Amino acid sequence: MKYCFKLSVVIGYLLMFGINVYAKEINGGADMSKLTPISKILATPENYYKQPATISGTVVKVCKKRGCWMQLATDKAYETLTIKVPDGEMVFPMTAMGKTAYATGTLKAIEMSLEQTNQRLKMKAMPAVTKPMTLYRFSPTGVTIVD
Amino acid sequence: MTKSKSIKWFNLNRSLHRDIGYFCIGMTLVFAISGIALNHIHQWNSNYNVTQKKVKVEFLETKIKQSNFEHSLLAELNEQGIIKARFWQDENTLKLFIKNKTLFVLPKQNLIIIEEIKPRFLLRNLNFLHLNEAKKAWTWFSDFYALLLIFLAISSLFMVKGKKSVTGTRGFIILAGFIAPAGFVFYYAS
Repeated sequence: MKYCFKLSVVIGYLLMFGINVYAKEINGGADMSKLTPISKILATPENYYKQPATISGTVVKVCKKRGCWMQLATDKAYETLTIKVPDGEMVFPMTAMGKTAYATGTLKAIEMSLEQTNQRLKMKAMPAVTKPMTLYRFSPTGVTIVD
Repeated sequence: MTKSKSIKWFNLNRSLHRDIGYFCIGMTLVFAISGIALNHIHQWNSNYNVTQKKVKVEFLETKIKQSNFEHSLLAELNEQGIIKARFWQDENTLKLFIKNKTLFVLPKQNLIIIEEIKPRFLLRNLNFLHLNEAKKAWTWFSDFYALLLIFLAISSLFMVKGKKSVTGTRGFIILAGFIAPAGFVFYYAS
């Protein structure tokens, strides 16, 4: 009986630790054969609304509470692309910050109003504009995080 | 003959309810504790302990232009490890990433904000299971657990005979268990 109890405790701990080993590949991981620079995707965004691509970049920000989004640095100064999933579909760990993420998925365009555009620019300490902008988000189906 | 057969079913049900109940203790605690933690994640981050420390560094605007800036900054801050990545968030904020820490370098303010992220070991792993981040076999195992819970719920109806059984006044307790969630749906969803 004591042996059974000890064994179940050991199995429990192994499961707890084992889970973290596999956490680097989320939802089966990214498809490396579709690797495309973010700048290329953002240059012709309409090509990637349906056609899946894999992007990569340094993780510079992660949703602190639910891990439902993270921002990847692009090759342009100050520019990031947000990877967003519905709550619970995938969870991005906060410990991914500073690591390189690969994400396979499609691009989504969100048309902002002029007010929303200028609010975002103000948050980034950038000058206001007179025309509304389009916000791009990446919807991943699989993500790999590499240290 | 019929009576002895019914007693056997009664005993079997009680034994199964007891043993399956024992088996479900671990899983129930996993889902119950993480359920509370996730319900209140907007008030308290149960996944990570995030702390921020502000450090004033003199002449930061000059130092940042030096070639050995990152190395000397880590030494000055007494931080171990190597800088994994760097990113200019905007014209005034440079982010430097070391293991589980982000250094926000604000040269114009001569300020460094050190943000440290420590996963809460137990709750992070419980939430990991609750949100089915593991997927794969865990999905099937938690489905199996759900089936066991259904068994526990139904078998509880046949645990007691006589006055204290569900056919007596205690049936109202069961009814209350259905009315409560239905009431929330009626109040909030309609």
